[in-house]
Amino acid sequence: MERNYSQELLMAIERADRSGAALIIDAWAGQHAFSRVVPDLLSPVLETFGNLWASGHGGVSLATGYVASKVAEDVLSRLLQEAPAGGGNTPVKGPVVLGNVEDDFHPLGRKMVAAFLRTEGWDVRDLGVDVSAKQFVDAAEEVGSRIIGASAMMHTTAKNVARIREEIDGRGYTGRIMLAVGGAVFKLRPELVKAFGADGTSDSAVSASALFDELWQRSISLYPGTGGALEQP
Amino acid sequence: MNPELPPLCVSCSIFRREIEELRASGRLDLPVHFLDSMLHMVPAKLESTLQESLDAIRAADPDRKVVIAYGDCCGHMETYESRPGTARTEGINCCEIILGREAYRRLRKEGVFFLMPEWTLAWKDVFVEQLGLLGPNAKTFMREMHTRLVYLDTGLVPVPHGTLREASEFLGLPYEIMNVPLDFLLASLKQAASFARAHG
Repeated sequence: MERNYSQELLMAIERADRSGAALIIDAWAGQHAFSRVVPDLLSPVLETFGNLWASGHGGVSLATGYVASKVAEDVLSRLLQEAPAGGGNTPVKGPVVLGNVEDDFHPLGRKMVAAFLRTEGWDVRDLGVDVSAKQFVDAAEEVGSRIIGASAMMHTTAKNVARIREEIDGRGYTGRIMLAVGGAVFKLRPELVKAFGADGTSDSAVSASALFDELWQRSISLYPGTGGALEQP
Repeated sequence: MNPELPPLCVSCSIFRREIEELRASGRLDLPVHFLDSMLHMVPAKLESTLQESLDAIRAADPDRKVVIAYGDCCGHMETYESRPGTARTEGINCCEIILGREAYRRLRKEGVFFLMPEWTLAWKDVFVEQLGLLGPNAKTFMREMHTRLVYLDTGLVPVPHGTLREASEFLGLPYEIMNVPLDFLLASLKQAASFARAHG
């Protein structure tokens, strides 16, 4: 009977079994080209995992979410090792900047989003925790990002998203730089996304890439420029 | 309503010993109702329990002033604290409330993971049972997110050295003990009580 690698990998992630997940991926790679592991195995499994996560499935915990992101990182790391110099594993989307808003010191969600975005080919510039509105927009200007991804866990710190909105608008980047937000408080209170001036959020870290695709396209449709990175207003 | 009644404090049990000490020493005159700190592991349950508690106070005396001794620990905390005659202790979480903003920010920037006395005794339940961090994941996770554990010793219970050693070994981080006075907690409670009295 043929092995169901996708199901096995999903179950390993749900057991928070990182090394077990690596063995399953190795076994899959014994029969397929490893360069296909993201589109053919990992992404579909992470999408299923993300749906379970977004629906509040009991099997998804802090540990399983963390392990899912580490599995993605492990795969990316191996792809980079196995790629020829200048090979096909360089990011193809972005760049985008990520960070925790000012006064927020909870890095887990942001790190997971970064891992899943990189898996989907995004060039992620991670600014870390406690990032001010000015630092966010400075970084977006510097690297030419059309998206700022801001993470906040609590209402108190989520208010700082409004400052990023003001900074974006104040510098004339409205519509050019899209503001994506995530974190526990936005999941509990989705009305805060608009209230604080953000352009969108996603149900889980895994589905952040789809949100970023949508926001990137929205920015391009408003300000096409040369169709790539952010340009000055 | 009896205007002489002090505000009623609804507090997370994480502050139980500290608030009881402040009351016993005469530095705080608020009657206090404690809610289980483990409610934090299920924020929706914390929210509903807190709301029920606040509603019960209002039902008994609609004009009673209320102090909420919590951080911003659930999604609608700001809704609760914006009710007339109500105020919350200033701070994002219990650690900031007890350390003060400056020390809290400095230590968090250094990557510190704080252990309050009550949760130190329940560390295994929190990390293993509630968060599911088992085996190598616990060390990998904690080392990726943090640099060290800091036990906040408020001086009211013996420092649980054995428990700290066990947690440190399991989580793969060194620990240190920091003596913490009750001054910031007291100031925060008094400020909230004053605000609640003034904004009826």
